[in-house]
Amino acid sequence: MTGGAIEGPALWAVVLAVGTPLLSFGVIMVALRQRGRGHLAAGLSIAAVSVTLLAAIYLLISHWHMSQPKMFTVNWMVSGSLHLPYGFYLDPLALLMLAVVALICFLVQIYSIGYMAGDPGFGRYYGYMSLFAWAMTNLCVASGMFQLYVFWELVGLSSYLLIGFWFEKFSASQAGKKAFVMTRLGDVAFLLGLLLVLFQLGNLDIVQLDDPTVAAVMPPHLLTLSAVLIFGGIVGKSAQFPLLTWLPDAMEGPTPVSALLHSATMVAAGVFLFARLFPFFSHSAAAMTLFLAIGTISMLMAASMALVSRDIKQVWAFSTISQLGYMVMGLSAGGYVAGVFHLTTHAGFKALLFLCSGVFIHHYGTNDMFEIGARGGRQMKIAMACMLIGAAALAGVPPLSGFFSKEAIFAVLAGLDNPLWLTAGLLGGLLTAYYSFRLIFVILLPGSPGEAPAGEHHHPPPAVSAWFMEAPLLILAGATLLLGFTHHRLAEFVLQWFPMAVGEHAAPPWVVGTALALAAAGVGLAFWDFGRPGAARIGCLSGLPSLVRFLDQRWYLDRLYRYLLERIVYNGVSRICTANDKKVIDGTTDGMARGTLQAGRLLASGHLGMLQYRLMVMFVVVVLMALYFFLS
Amino acid sequence: MPLHSANFPFLSAILIACLGGLLVVLVLPARRQKEIKWVSAISSAITLVLSLTLFLAYDRHLGGLQFAERIAWIPALGISYFNAVDGFSVPMLLLTGIVFFTGVLTAWEMTHRVKEFFALLILLVLGVFGLFMSLDLFFIFVWYDVSLFPMYLLIAVWGSTRKEYGAMKLTLYLLAGSALILPGILYLVVVSGLETFDMTALMTAGIFSPAQQKFAFLLFYIGFGILAGVWPLHTWSPVGHVAAPTAVSMLHAGVLMKIGAFGVLRLGIFLCPLGWQHWAPLMALLATVGIVYGVFVGLSQTDLKYVIGYSSVSHMGIVGLGLATVSVEGLNGAVFQMFAHGVMTALFFSSVGYIYDRTHTKQITDLGGLSRVMPRASGYLILAALAGVGVPCLASFWAELMVFIASFKVYPIYGGLAICALVVSALFILRVVQRTCYGPLDDRWRHLADMTPTRSLPRLILAAVIVLFGFFPSLMYNLVQTASIPLIGGLP
Repeated sequence: MTGGAIEGPALWAVVLAVGTPLLSFGVIMVALRQRGRGHLAAGLSIAAVSVTLLAAIYLLISHWHMSQPKMFTVNWMVSGSLHLPYGFYLDPLALLMLAVVALICFLVQIYSIGYMAGDPGFGRYYGYMSLFAWAMTNLCVASGMFQLYVFWELVGLSSYLLIGFWFEKFSASQAGKKAFVMTRLGDVAFLLGLLLVLFQLGNLDIVQLDDPTVAAVMPPHLLTLSAVLIFGGIVGKSAQFPLLTWLPDAMEGPTPVSALLHSATMVAAGVFLFARLFPFFSHSAAAMTLFLAIGTISMLMAASMALVSRDIKQVWAFSTISQLGYMVMGLSAGGYVAGVFHLTTHAGFKALLFLCSGVFIHHYGTNDMFEIGARGGRQMKIAMACMLIGAAALAGVPPLSGFFSKEAIFAVLAGLDNPLWLTAGLLGGLLTAYYSFRLIFVILLPGSPGEAPAGEHHHPPPAVSAWFMEAPLLILAGATLLLGFTHHRLAEFVLQWFPMAVGEHAAPPWVVGTALALAAAGVGLAFWDFGRPGAARIGCLSGLPSLVRFLDQRWYLDRLYRYLLERIVYNGVSRICTANDKKVIDGTTDGMARGTLQAGRLLASGHLGMLQYRLMVMFVVVVLMALYFFLS
Repeated sequence: MPLHSANFPFLSAILIACLGGLLVVLVLPARRQKEIKWVSAISSAITLVLSLTLFLAYDRHLGGLQFAERIAWIPALGISYFNAVDGFSVPMLLLTGIVFFTGVLTAWEMTHRVKEFFALLILLVLGVFGLFMSLDLFFIFVWYDVSLFPMYLLIAVWGSTRKEYGAMKLTLYLLAGSALILPGILYLVVVSGLETFDMTALMTAGIFSPAQQKFAFLLFYIGFGILAGVWPLHTWSPVGHVAAPTAVSMLHAGVLMKIGAFGVLRLGIFLCPLGWQHWAPLMALLATVGIVYGVFVGLSQTDLKYVIGYSSVSHMGIVGLGLATVSVEGLNGAVFQMFAHGVMTALFFSSVGYIYDRTHTKQITDLGGLSRVMPRASGYLILAALAGVGVPCLASFWAELMVFIASFKVYPIYGGLAICALVVSALFILRVVQRTCYGPLDDRWRHLADMTPTRSLPRLILAAVIVLFGFFPSLMYNLVQTASIPLIGGLP
């Protein structure tokens, strides 16, 4: 059941892959954090992530055909009857994820040389990047759920540090805190779910959880409960409804960070966890239906928010939530391969989109797509072309990678009894095409001449950027172009060892046709609204100002949460507890102290120290005693 | 319980190092401030080295009480000078050594009445060391009081914000505690009929009836619980933290509160195991209230030290919850949490002390952006905060995790609530970090200097300990287990 052991060169490769970033993090934080040593830090961090990348590629190639997954564990902590192992579990999913993570980490770190150049915190930036690489790679190959949880928390930590990287901006530190606390909310549920499982099964090895016998060991209601609780962690990390509001704010971080953490890898860790525990979750049909609903709601909600945003990064952030929703939909509808495949392709094209946007943002110093368009963003040819490829993949234009993976998800949804899910998925496809090409047309096509800010003769520096910013774009664009064709080989690889039977679905032709028609409609509508010469460039939604406001305010979710936080936490429980501390508890003790003092004063009034008074008391006592004796 | 002696009296050597340092400090003239500091540093360094030796030399296979030393003192009353350590007390001695040494280094810039300050500090630590290693009830009580009285003076003379009130409140609370502990000790000694204060003799099962154990346990639980910050007897502690000078806050939160929890463990649990089992649900309830309540009160504080004070209430609640589970995992987690919280909170106060010395304010609304001008100082503050939030690979994570696992098994509701409090705890601790270290820098603080590498030495040591035990929790657990497994296994 557990498969073979990891030995020899493979073990070395895993250890190197997950170990070198830690080394780099430690050295940078101890010795290379200061200003002036930034280039050393960058060099070290990139060297470390290169080792990780090479090791990950080696592992992927050498295990391309594997008869069974491989394990290696050591004891990390032993306390009483509880053993928490640290180890590696290599199965197709882990190897694939490790390779994706390592590649994107590598590319983003190369890209950051240009993007972060001149920043006073250059060294610190690379330190945090190494921390992330370490945590994320360990998460991918974790052999047990506790290890996964530990590194899950650590990627959350690196996300907190990187979102708030420009800490002098109040909004950045606020966004980092929000991200940490909101994901923590999900993680608490995750931990509770793990503990429930732990008490039932006795350990938390992933092999054990994914074993088909679990359904016989755990009572069904507990299984559903723990599945839902564990899913809470996914909701937090992958920014699904109702915990989705932290991700748009997380765009306060540097753009490469958004590309790496908040689109391609870290937020996908939630979906990865779903895939990891797919057999476990599959035991509970009720839980899977709930997950399907959550994925669908998140997908549509975020896509609708993306329709009206003017900020490039915000659009991609909403789009990330929406695409993660697709992955959750695919997985919870039973499409293991579809979900994992979309995770892989999305990592490529969404990182591409963010990095391209980074080129514009870096160059023009603004996030506003209309301003970038007006100031001639289309002149940056490589970035523009790459962004077009990425957006087309996102919209599901064949033959780009996004088309294939999205079709795979539609195919799974088409297999469900209820047509509602497929309808929602297709509708999401329409919205996706519209919002992604809205952005493209705004930047790519010249607007009406009067749109450029009047009176401003701003000549940006010539639109070229360094090779280390462009090379990653080209590599990712190439991947986006080609990855789609590997669908079947990837499916074979992923399914060559899996603890349960999952079929691969082929989409019925009418579904493919409808999806393509809807994507074309979305692109066409975007062209009509924003692309054609003389377009008003306000979008077809502007006829409904209240809807625009509603979407612009992100469905008022943030307001609601803020209100609840203020009302219930700050002004509710916290205030009551503080008042209780001051008034009741301290009031009681201080009252007792005062009471003691007053009692003392009262008694002291009997001891005035005046001779006459004492004589009088003596006299009275003697008289009383005399009376007592005489009368008895 | 097996008793093993060593060739060298390590335990007495620790006490002698303190006592020697104390005497030399007293003999030196008050104006030789530098020499006084060096003497204190050397004496504390010796205790640190000795306690580290104990930590490494304690034989984990042998277990039981090791490094025993016994000299009969008043045979007629059954009082003897009797020291020995087990898996529970070795971590506490190490903690005391670490916090003492780093506390002395943190107080290096002290200029006001240096001689008296260091003399009292050493006296306080002497009591703490004595309490952790003593196995004679009489001595335990004496050491307890030795560690309490210097506190009053240290806060009332060298303190800040409402120092007289804080000092008096603390002293009255702790004396109230000792007013319960002494009757408890005398009660047990008398009803045992053995005419001895020797704990190993009194620990023999069957000496005390269940009713006697229930009664005595309650006395110890409340008496020592005051010191451990058990809700609702906790309010002295934040006030005391705030009023105390930096090094004293470190010892106070880092070590003194641990005496309370350790007292419950050593006297309450070892002597009255039945009482422990009987009152465990009450302990769990109060601990959970403390955990949740502490984070919510912390949320509305604006004084840095108050925030840490209430986080201590919450974190000490975790210790209490661990003890209340009556399980190996819970005890392991509780003792590790005592250690981890001690180091973490010492780092917290040490960094805050540095910031306070420069800015003369502890109000988070006045601070902000300090990461720009003092990256090193805020780095340590952030590390301590992250440890407080329970970030993995920092020591307290493992302790909390262990307590959560144990308590969720025994008391699902309390355990679940304690886990949920993690969210609020993250909110309030990160809020402090954000308001202090992040955000725009106030012009008033633009000229401030960062810690020099020498100044940051005590913080570096504390940070290193947090990270070391965060990566290798088994270093601690395989030691604590030597005591917790036999204890749970020997329960009736």
